Amino acid sequence: MLRSALSRASCLARASLLETASRVPAATVSRNVSKHSTETDAELDARYEAYFSRNDIDGWEIRKAMNDLCGMDLVPEPKIIIAALKACRRVNDYALAVRFMEAVKEKCGNKQKEIYPYILQEIGPTLKELGVNTPEELGYDKPELALASVYD
Amino acid sequence: MALRQCAIVALRNGLGGRQQVAAASSLAKIGNRDVVGYGVNGAPNYYDRVDFPMPAVRFKENTPDVMALREKEKGDWNKLTMEEKKALYRASFCQTFAEMKAPTGEWKSILGISLLASSIAIWVYLLMKVYVYDAIPDTLSQEKKEAQLKRMIDLRANPVTGVSSKWDYEKGDWK
Repeated sequence: MLRSALSRASCLARASLLETASRVPAATVSRNVSKHSTETDAELDARYEAYFSRNDIDGWEIRKAMNDLCGMDLVPEPKIIIAALKACRRVNDYALAVRFMEAVKEKCGNKQKEIYPYILQEIGPTLKELGVNTPEELGYDKPELALASVYD
Repeated sequence: MALRQCAIVALRNGLGGRQQVAAASSLAKIGNRDVVGYGVNGAPNYYDRVDFPMPAVRFKENTPDVMALREKEKGDWNKLTMEEKKALYRASFCQTFAEMKAPTGEWKSILGISLLASSIAIWVYLLMKVYVYDAIPDTLSQEKKEAQLKRMIDLRANPVTGVSSKWDYEKGDWK
């Protein structure tokens, strides 16, 4: 009983393995066995810029991409930031653009004085064109409001 | 592979009712707020975190004035006033990054309470010394200790590498 079930299971397993092997398209690069990505920096930049530049992108996808980008150990390139800000404009979300600017500033880490002015200089024209204010202009570089403690 | 798929489908059908109820109640908690993103884990919760800058739901509910601002937001952003821009930000988010990362001063209370606890411990020790412990035995006086050491040397205690090996018996003094 067990042996017949095992043999049937192994047959099914072999059949499904063969199916999945035939479904892999021939155009992909060799499969990565480890989690280490072989994508270059330029490929990553291009991928995220293309993603944000999609015309039919919606708020959910923008936020997911931004969260993923901010989870990576890098400061986004100015061209990715510009594409993301334009995507915010397409979905009519001003707060999202400002939040993303704050997140980019945060990603600069302890090299903020070197990296952030450069980024502002690169995306300055886009900021002016879209009408997005930097967090400093809104007064959000210092704390504005205090949060009441839940313990009091 | 196919067996596992069958098992998964069966489980999902069995738990289907409970899953739908769970999903409905977690959405009911957010009231009139928009679900706008994936957030931290896909659940419609709001967190202010520097490592997940975009939460899954907007912070404030959709009240009529917020909806009026949203209408204005669809136009040119250069036409928004500073107050409107700030109101739009606060409608979507609770704290700015600066407020999230602002120092809390918690270290002062931690240091203070730790020092308080240490001082109480020292007080307890001092009171124990005064009121609880007996007096030290008199065998620890200097003369008695010297007499004990002399006895150890006379008995040749630890003669190879210990105290008697350091004593010169011809001289009657330390080596």
